[in-house]
Amino acid sequence: MDPTQLLKGVLDLAVLAVLRDEDGYGYDILRRLRAAGLEDVGDASVYGTLRRLFNGGLLNSYVVPSDEGPHRKYYALNAAGRAELERYGKVWRGFATIMDDLLDGEKA
Amino acid sequence: MNLTAQDEIAEYVEGVRAALGGVPAATRDELLEDLPEHLAEVLAEGGGSLRARLGTPDVYAAELLASAGVSGAVPRQPAGWKEFAELRGRSAAAARRADVRVGPLLGYAKATDFLTLLRPAWWVLRGYLAAMLFAYVFDSGGGPLGLLPRLGGDGIVALLLLGVMVVGSVWLGRRGRPEGLWSRRLMTGGTAFLVLFGLVGFTEVDGDRQDGPAYYETGYSGGGQYADVQDVFVYDRFDRLVEGAQLFDQNGQPIRMGEPFCWNETTGTSPSRNMGYPHCPERAPFRAGDPSASESAVPDPSGDPSPSGAAPSPSESVAASVAPPVPSVAPSGR
Repeated sequence: MDPTQLLKGVLDLAVLAVLRDEDGYGYDILRRLRAAGLEDVGDASVYGTLRRLFNGGLLNSYVVPSDEGPHRKYYALNAAGRAELERYGKVWRGFATIMDDLLDGEKA
Repeated sequence: MNLTAQDEIAEYVEGVRAALGGVPAATRDELLEDLPEHLAEVLAEGGGSLRARLGTPDVYAAELLASAGVSGAVPRQPAGWKEFAELRGRSAAAARRADVRVGPLLGYAKATDFLTLLRPAWWVLRGYLAAMLFAYVFDSGGGPLGLLPRLGGDGIVALLLLGVMVVGSVWLGRRGRPEGLWSRRLMTGGTAFLVLFGLVGFTEVDGDRQDGPAYYETGYSGGGQYADVQDVFVYDRFDRLVEGAQLFDQNGQPIRMGEPFCWNETTGTSPSRNMGYPHCPERAPFRAGDPSASESAVPDPSGDPSPSGAAPSPSESVAASVAPPVPSVAPSGR
């Protein structure tokens, strides 16, 4: 089984989740995901996902000038994004519970 | 950030931009918007070149497109292309698996290893098929398709043509794959046509061979009561043996029974010297003046004078073409 396939399915939710408490720019979000343990996540995948969520109206964005480097484009959850995070989060928890049960049943 | 890093970033961005060539310009610019900034971060982090960290620009562009869910990303491809490409990919994968699995049965690692060895054999067969096609198209004689590429029924010409075509095909094969796209397409199309022609041709010739003799065998001697018939003796109404008789059915097709060979105690089996039936008059079951003949060979001496009334089985329409008054047919058993 290819873990990256699994990752593709939950990347949207993961990105929304790391933006829940704090806005972030692309590379920053990538770093947070990796720090959280999603080490295999691809740079382009995160950028593409951000672009899609933004186009889907779940994120707002704003540009912050930076002294030491280029301007940074920050992304923030808007109301729709928060609603989606809550809804999708529930779906995920239900799904994860089912999978846990399945795997535990397998062990027993 | 030094100049080299800037160059590397610019080059990478251009690479991704080129890979996104099929995407509408507005979407492409959107997708590329954050890229230089991101690449700068990646480089600042250290740990190797952009290509080493992120893969080639093509790979990056493909991942970006897939995750951004950009539809109609490559408008150059017509609708349904994706399904077709997927199907082709799956077929290719299945073929590769079969290749590896069948190989050991043939004694090779892969079946294609074995097939590669057969390539010159295909060249020869291709030459033969090309010669047959040539003869089929240009032979004005209109004779049925045989096994040699005859032009006007000439065997020598056929062999010459065959030789030239086979040598030509082998020469073509040894040159390898043609260079140009159109040459390759021509080659593929020609090959497909030849294979099709070969299949149809073989089926036709084989069918002719099967049908030819089978018509008589199934109709008159291949099964049923005539299976054992080796010779046919025709007697006229005066019990005289008719020699050189010809048998035809209702369609004018000659009825062939037995084989034109005679068995003789002294000479053994030898070809019959008689045209028509009986093949071997000396083996006639009844002789003129034989009292038993008049009873068994002429069932109705006073009978119908019309020839058809004398045929033993009107349903099969057996009628002797030479008709001194009223012939009757007496098949001889084995």
